[in-house]
Amino acid sequence: MAITVKTVRRPEGEVSYLRATLKGMVVTLSHVFRPKVTMEYPEQKSTDDWTLSPRWRGTHRMLTDEQGRAKCVACGLCPQICPANCIKLVPGEDEEGHRYPLIYEIDEFRCIFCGYCQEVCPEEAIHVGVHYENAEYERSRFVYDLERLCAQTHPVSTLWDPSDPQGE
Amino acid sequence: MADQPLVRLTIEGVPVSVPQGTLVIEAAKQAGVMIPHYCYHSGLPVAGVCRMCLVEIETTPKLQIACATQAAEGMVVNVLSAQAREARQGVLEFLLINHPLDCPICDQAGECELQDYVFQEGRSRTRYTPTYAKRFNPVEDFGGDVLYVPNRCILCTRCVRFMEHVAEEPILNVSERGDRAYIGIHPDRHLDHPWAGNVVDLCPVGSLLSKDFLHKARAWELDKTPGVCTGCSQGCNVNLDTRTDVVVRVRPRANLDVNQYFMCDHGRMQYRWMNRGDRIEAPLVAHGHELAAVSWDHAFARAAEIVRGTAGRAAVLASPRASTEALFLAKRVLGRFDLTAAFRVQRVSEEAPLIGVPNLALRSERAPNVTGATLLGYTEQFEVAVKALSGSAVVLVLDDPLEGVSADLLRAAGQVIYLGTVLPDAARAAHVVLPIANVAEEDGTFVNRDQRVQRYFQAKVGPGMARPAWWVLGELLAELKLGGPFGSAAEAFAWMAAEEPRFGGLSYQLLGTRGMVLPAGRPAGVGA
Ligand code: SF4
Ligand code: SF4
Ligand code: SF4
Ligand code: SF4
Ligand code: FES
Repeated sequence: MAITVKTVRRPEGEVSYLRATLKGMVVTLSHVFRPKVTMEYPEQKSTDDWTLSPRWRGTHRMLTDEQGRAKCVACGLCPQICPANCIKLVPGEDEEGHRYPLIYEIDEFRCIFCGYCQEVCPEEAIHVGVHYENAEYERSRFVYDLERLCAQTHPVSTLWDPSDPQGE
Repeated sequence: MADQPLVRLTIEGVPVSVPQGTLVIEAAKQAGVMIPHYCYHSGLPVAGVCRMCLVEIETTPKLQIACATQAAEGMVVNVLSAQAREARQGVLEFLLINHPLDCPICDQAGECELQDYVFQEGRSRTRYTPTYAKRFNPVEDFGGDVLYVPNRCILCTRCVRFMEHVAEEPILNVSERGDRAYIGIHPDRHLDHPWAGNVVDLCPVGSLLSKDFLHKARAWELDKTPGVCTGCSQGCNVNLDTRTDVVVRVRPRANLDVNQYFMCDHGRMQYRWMNRGDRIEAPLVAHGHELAAVSWDHAFARAAEIVRGTAGRAAVLASPRASTEALFLAKRVLGRFDLTAAFRVQRVSEEAPLIGVPNLALRSERAPNVTGATLLGYTEQFEVAVKALSGSAVVLVLDDPLEGVSADLLRAAGQVIYLGTVLPDAARAAHVVLPIANVAEEDGTFVNRDQRVQRYFQAKVGPGMARPAWWVLGELLAELKLGGPFGSAAEAFAWMAAEEPRFGGLSYQLLGTRGMVLPAGRPAGVGA
């Protein structure tokens, strides 16, 4: 049986690309006149109507007292509560005989940023931070020691609404 | 007690019968109810000062303190009634007025009865303003191992009563009165009584602290394992508190037949050597003049070769700190020789009794298993045995530190098998060295001076290839086709009980955690 070929003629409007291109350009051009929603990270980190939540839980910061010493008294509650088991604490005494952490380290790789350590700390010493820029050249740098935790300057997380401390 | 008439009473709806004269607080324990208490302690005279144990007794108009009220026929005691709870809540509120609430830095946190009861039935919020200035007194060094933190004291007077009625050296008192009261110490004295450390355990809060344990660990990080003190032949029952395989503290374990609730300071400080780092971690066999690490199989084969290939005289130099099982098996290994088995023990001239408890003292022979060794036929003629070394074909050393025994003396003997935890210089003359576990790393038994056989349990893992002495000797016996091997210390003990008539009928199960006195009528062997 001989093969027959049927030729279909499409309407002019459908085969021309010009129409679709122009339509697209109209959409693009119309956006030029709409308000901007993107942010120019990293130059710009927050805008008037968007900023990181104050309850953001990022890498830790250890608060210090007036003399610049860590507020931690090595009570052992945060290593106990930590579900990721990533806090290493060796208690000891400082020069004045006060209880003080000899070793305090947080492995930020193992941390799941639950914020329990901040919540459990009776001294308001360890905090999760409102912070997310953590790039390093070496993996080992992700274990933060006491000195490094104290040297952090980023704001700390507000785990609950200060106006409603009983609330969840 | 058995011949005393019983009274029946009901506590929290649970009927119990107790001998006449029993205190309500003790009767409640039988009913499975723990009445909160601070000043009451079963090992001390009743004081009734803290008022924490207030309970409601029907037909009595006012609340009564359960620690000073005797159970009576038909009594109905309500511990958890609203009235009783409210009263105890009031007591707790008073205790907290001046309490520093420094749990984060308090060593007692986690095992503190103030924490427990406040959590259980205290008020959740203070009624004092945050600016209320709490009473403050500085920390005081009581001497000995004891530190006093007056701010945390709840004035239960347990420490005062212990020193006065149990140690009978009344150097503590309650000084001042009212809300200024604190525990005072005699101005010219220190808490250096040999049993003074017990006040730290007795203190229900973190007011009396051990300097040795200060800031070392948190209570919830510790694993507790029942053990027997190795300090002397009294054999006080203890708990070894370990944290990640390190013994950090030893505390008494209640055993009314031996040490009641107490232990002496000498025994309390006897734990550092359990954490020694310089241990033998692999079996060693002599190659020329050097010792080389080998596998257990190789070491057993070599040791068996030594025992099989020799005859004549042999000696066992054992330590009275070795388990009864190990002492028994060591003699079995050299059973067919003409055997001298000896041990030595440090003896001091004076005992240090705890006057308030009958038959309890820090004994002069400072090792836990002197009686066990004597019962098994070891003599205290160590020097004689050492002199006879040169004529011995085989010498087996069981954890003796070999102080005063030179390598040359050992070399004069035929062959030396050394079982030990560490390798003293003299032991380098040994032909086979077998690493064994120490008392914290194995199960075993000691026999105390009153012939009470007591078990101790494994609290941590041994280093490297070190194994319990009963296992090592069991494998060696099996290699020699003389018995063994044993899968557990219980099996080793069972074999000893079957072979050694003095231990007949005993088993680990029967001994439990309290131990049993060897059947009477058999001669005691303490003392040389
Ligand atoms: S945030 Fe959570 S996981 Fe991370 S250290 Fe704290 S407790 Fe541990
Ligand atoms: S909970 Fe706070 S005070 Fe306690 S160990 Fe952790 S950081 Fe230190
Ligand atoms: S120091 Fe401890 S045992 Fe002594 S009275 Fe105070 S709370 Fe009680
Ligand atoms: S009396 Fe002896 S057994 Fe008891 S605690 Fe002291 S040293 Fe240990
Ligand atoms: S325990 Fe009864 S008054 Fe203290």
